[in-house]
Amino acid sequence: MGWTILIIVAIIIILGAWLAGMYNRLVSLRNQVKNAWSQIDVQLQRRYDLIPNLVETVKGYMNYEQSTLQKVIEARSQAMSARENLEKKGGPTAEGASLKELIGAETTLRGALGGIFALAENYPALRATENMQRLQEELSSTENKVAFSRQSYNDAVMLYNTQQQVFPTNIFAQMFGHHPADLFETEGSEAKKAVKVQF
Amino acid sequence: MNFWEAQRKARGRTSLYLFVFFTLTIGIAILIEYVVRVLAADGYTPPMPYLGVMFLGITILVAAFYYLNYSSSGGSFVAESLGGRRVLPQEASYEEMQLLNIVEEMAVASRLPIPPVYVLESKEINAFAAGMRPNNAAITVTKGALALLNRDELQGVIAHEFGHIYNADMKISMRLAAMVMGFMIVLYIGFRLLEGSLLFGRGRRNGGTNPVALVAIVLLVAGALTWFAGAILRSMVSRQREYLADACAVQFTRNPSGIANALRKIGKYQHINDMPKSGMAYSHLYFDNHSFWSSIFSTHPPLSKRIAAIEGRTYIPEEWIEK
Repeated sequence: MGWTILIIVAIIIILGAWLAGMYNRLVSLRNQVKNAWSQIDVQLQRRYDLIPNLVETVKGYMNYEQSTLQKVIEARSQAMSARENLEKKGGPTAEGASLKELIGAETTLRGALGGIFALAENYPALRATENMQRLQEELSSTENKVAFSRQSYNDAVMLYNTQQQVFPTNIFAQMFGHHPADLFETEGSEAKKAVKVQF
Repeated sequence: MNFWEAQRKARGRTSLYLFVFFTLTIGIAILIEYVVRVLAADGYTPPMPYLGVMFLGITILVAAFYYLNYSSSGGSFVAESLGGRRVLPQEASYEEMQLLNIVEEMAVASRLPIPPVYVLESKEINAFAAGMRPNNAAITVTKGALALLNRDELQGVIAHEFGHIYNADMKISMRLAAMVMGFMIVLYIGFRLLEGSLLFGRGRRNGGTNPVALVAIVLLVAGALTWFAGAILRSMVSRQREYLADACAVQFTRNPSGIANALRKIGKYQHINDMPKSGMAYSHLYFDNHSFWSSIFSTHPPLSKRIAAIEGRTYIPEEWIEK
């Protein structure tokens, strides 16, 4: 009699430890995704902060190209609201969260920024100002940082999603409140072309 | 071959070299003991291998002392002692701001903390990372590198330095340097002992061997041998870690032409050679070290080989590729 109880208790303990290990692994993977996302988020915010400066600097020189500036301002507010929506949902690891809106808005924003820099080519006086040079450098650096942190974000997402899909974790992942996260992918090669910033 | 494969290979090589290094040390210790026991069969027959233990003890004590000395001073200390000036974002020129940005980008790409950045008043193109751990590392770049490299090339150089931090190369090279120092001290003790025994040992000529002189000679020879072999091994490890850092630079930037063109530019401006001489002890840290010792003692592989390894997408020198 005593033996059976002992064996049952042992099995329960082993099962419990095994479940706890699975649970903890999922949590730590999700935290890695969250951390990688916050790296991207910081850079997105930095870019939104830089854009008003850029518009101010450029304004005086580009009187006749208000529409380009308007496009940038609109794209910025759209990207910001997309980011806010995502934030409200609870970030990319929340249930049903999608990066689609944000990625789309970011692509538009990058295209519009590329438009400003392409136009700036026609204004040598503007390009020569130190302020403009610094802004160009800052913006292209945030661009690079987004690209580099995207790599590590996507790596983290891949690990997290794979862990949810493998047997036997897939039985419990949903129960523990985990959902596959979205990859941060750029849309096509057009977006890449638009980012090109001249030095 | 991709850079992951190359990195795995390079790491394997380091383990091999380190294994040779420690086998050599232990082997010499045993050899000392054996030689003295055979040569002084009448005078030296203790139950314990005192001499071998003494050799190991001296080497390890000296090495530990030097190592602790090195590691207590972080990367910033090394940078400042070479005359580096800390770059702060508030007072940075345009070029320096770009440098800070690139360092931040590479910190993001390598997932390492952002190190303090220093600029050195030197006209040649060079850079180094110092510091034992990622959180006390510092990156130093010369004025020449800022002036002559474009953004992509500078990014390649910074990524290479991050590769060193990522691979903990400073730790490995400092440990090896400390061991080599230990061997040198053994050599020195042997030399002093021999001098002493020749001066004072003259009085008692009893026909037999002079045990002190014998021990001194054995220590002298053992110290010299290990010092020499250790210095060569240390350079081999250092050269090979350069290939590894180049491979990491490509991993972080995904842009092989950045680092390759930077190396090419260094080759073009090779006549400028004004890194601080006080930094010779740190020469193995430099991005490139084109000193006159170009063969077995040099800490860096030749530029042409590094460029070929990067552009051939092999990331390791030809002679390591198995056919």
